Order: sequence, then structure tokens, then C-alpha cells
Amino acid sequence: MQIPPFQPLSPINKSVVNFTKMAQNSVNSPTATKKHLAPQFSQSKVVQNHAAPPIEEVRVNMAEMKVEDRPVALVTNVGSCVAVCIHDSINKCGGLAHIMLPSSTVTRNKSFPLKYADTAVPALTGALRKLGKSSVALSAKMVGGANMFPNMRSITLNVGEKNVEAVRQALVAEGVRLLAEDVGGNCGRRVSFNVVDGSVHVRNGRREVKII
Amino acid sequence: MTESTTDHSASKTKSVTETDGWTADKDLDLGILLELGSIGAGNAATSLSEIFQEPILIEVPKIHTLPPHLVPKFYQKHDTPITAVYMQLRGEADCDMLLVLEAEEAKKIAAMMTMSPSPEDIDPEMEASTIEELGSIMICSFLSAIADFVGIKLVPMPSHLVIDSFDEIIDNFLLTQDLASDVALIFEGCFRRSSSETKGALVMFPSVELQKLLIEKSRQWLKQDYSALIKANQYTFCRSE
Repeated sequence: MQIPPFQPLSPINKSVVNFTKMAQNSVNSPTATKKHLAPQFSQSKVVQNHAAPPIEEVRVNMAEMKVEDRPVALVTNVGSCVAVCIHDSINKCGGLAHIMLPSSTVTRNKSFPLKYADTAVPALTGALRKLGKSSVALSAKMVGGANMFPNMRSITLNVGEKNVEAVRQALVAEGVRLLAEDVGGNCGRRVSFNVVDGSVHVRNGRREVKII
Repeated sequence: MTESTTDHSASKTKSVTETDGWTADKDLDLGILLELGSIGAGNAATSLSEIFQEPILIEVPKIHTLPPHLVPKFYQKHDTPITAVYMQLRGEADCDMLLVLEAEEAKKIAAMMTMSPSPEDIDPEMEASTIEELGSIMICSFLSAIADFVGIKLVPMPSHLVIDSFDEIIDNFLLTQDLASDVALIFEGCFRRSSSETKGALVMFPSVELQKLLIEKSRQWLKQDYSALIKANQYTFCRSE
């Protein structure tokens, strides 16, 4: 039996439908009063802001980077790896890099610069500045760096924490402001980065969706 | 020096790796590792069959050698919810072992093992404990078969259960592999209950040291047995004369 893939936006869409129904019911019912309507309308308004129709998802694999100016969501899954989402709010474009390891200095094989924090972050900012054709201030959001097996810290070498620290340093070096982050912990995350508005939907192992 | 070529369409990728004079590109070495894995997987499937009292179907095991960062792209199971039991070997050489089950299948298996009327009725803690136990049994029977065959000690650490998406679980092991070598070697043995359509898999990420050790010991074993076979043939030949 094939299990269909999870859709990150579904809980939000469901809640929108429920709120809309609630609002309609209360309007149609003869006993509805202004007092009852007020909170329901305000709730539906708030949620409707996030209720944009599902947009096309573009997957970013491990040690890959993608930069987009089309209205798409860049999607990846991270455990100990780190997903860096950099957004250009003026030109409405953004890019995501899936970083595996903190530093390229420890490796002999330099043929995959997008694996490492110290080489992937400059590559991503460079590609975005080229795409936007301007030197506007970029902003970043970072997700990942979990320690999936906390009882076995020595085995996994705590790469997650080192990745997070290395990305922070690389962003400072590139002059990119870090707006938000969801890092650490001991569960993996699914990242969906909307390149138009710069919002990042993060779904954790307990299937809870958080917007940063 | 490392060179590698990968082909995503093929289930087995060709690669050439040279580390400290030891070459992993020889078909014989990969064949030895695949054979050892098959012995282990057969043993693990037998233990599973005994637990369920039903036939277990196993696929021909596979061995993949490809750069670690291409593994998620290769499997294409990015968001599939997975229940995995992880065990790590300690002793003569390191190795990561995983029992991977799709989350729904894990629920069904746990319900069968606890004699629960339906998968929905099972307590999550009981389910986790049951699957962890099943993982321990399968991984240990896999290892004990290999250890007996090769004549080395393979002692696993206590098991650890994790429930997450496929990519999120596997990336930890790929990082470990990436730090050690440019090419990951993955052994994969798929199995299926005769009454189910969902496959489970035993996945092994042997370290470079363990690969060397297993190959050396197997080669010794092959040589010994080969000479013994010749002697036996000579003996028969002499007798018939």
C-alpha cells in the first residue's frame, strides 16, 4: 500500500474551510448576533491571509541549491543538515541551500562546494544578487541542525550544532541578516519556503506546522 | 584519489574508490559483501517469519555504492513517514544498521505482535516498544549470521527508535558516511509479509574499516575452503583409482 505524501499546507487550508463554514452558519442562523459574529470574522480574516492557493513545490535535494523568481515554494527535508532560506523582498525572489557539513576545510574532495556551510552560503547569496540584478539587503531564515539520536551524541559527532554555528558565521560574513530560525531539538523538519513572501513553513516530526 | 561515476537510473551504481591502497571497485569485493548481506538478511527474515507465523517474502538483496548526498534522490521517498530502528555496532569496526518500516505497516506489525484487535487500538508507547524489540531481533540475527560466517565479533549497542520522514532519518547516517569516505556503501535487503503489500528493509551502512575486515576474512575463508576442496577431490580421485 502506498502512503500519499504529506501536504504541509493542508492543516491551514482545513482550518480555513472550517472557519468559513462557521461564519456562514452563524450568518444564516436566525439566532446569530453581532456579538457571536465578531470573533469568528476576525479569525477567518487572519487565517485567510495564509490561505493562498497551494503553489508549485520545487524540491531541493541534499547538497543542492535552488534560486527562484517564479511564485513557487522550495521544499526540502532536514535532520542534522541545515536549510538556509535567503529572501530578496524587493525583487520577490529567493533561494534555498541544503547544507550537510560545517566546513570545506576538513575534506580532501572540493568538488561539491554546496555541501559545506562556508562555501554554500556565499554561492547562494551570489546567485540571488545576480538574479535580482541589484545589491539590495537580503534576509535569511535557517532551519535544521537537529540531533536525531540524543543518546548517541558521540557517534553522530554533534554535526547539527556545528552546522548551525557555521551557517551563522557565514551569514555574518556575507552581511545577510538572520531574521528567524528553528534549529536544534531531536526531530527532523520539512521546510517549505515561499519565495514570494519569504515565509517558511516548518513541519516537525509530530506533524505540527510552524510559520517563521 | 577518488573518482566516481553515478547513474541514477540503474539500481546498482558503478564507482571507483581507492583509499589507502584498498580498492572497493572490484566486483569480487562487492560480491563478497553482497553475499554476506544476503546470508544475514535470510537469517533475519527467518526470525521474522517465526515471530509472525507466516511466510516472509524477501527480494534479492542489493548493494549500492554512490556519493552520500545522492542517496535521498536515489530512493525518492522524501516525505514518506517511516518508523526506523537504529543500532550501531561497536567493537572491531563501526557500522550503522537500520530496520526501516513504513509507519502504517509498523502499526499493523505492532498490533499483530501484541495481539491487539486493530492497529488503531494499540497504545503508542506499546507500539514503539514492540517495534524496537522487533528491530533488535532482526538486526541481531542479521549480525550473528554474518559474525558466525566470517568469524569476527559484531556487538551492537542498544537500539533506538525514531519516527520521522525518510530523508530526515537517513541524513544523519549519510553525514557519518560523508565524513569517512566520498562514496557511501549501502546494503539493502527488502522483505514483505505475504499478507501485506508494504515493503520493509534492513539497511546497513558499513564503515570502510568494516568493509575491509569483512572482505579480508571472507577471502581467507575462501582460500582455506578452496584448498580443502582440492584435497577432498584428490582424496576421492585416489580412492577411485
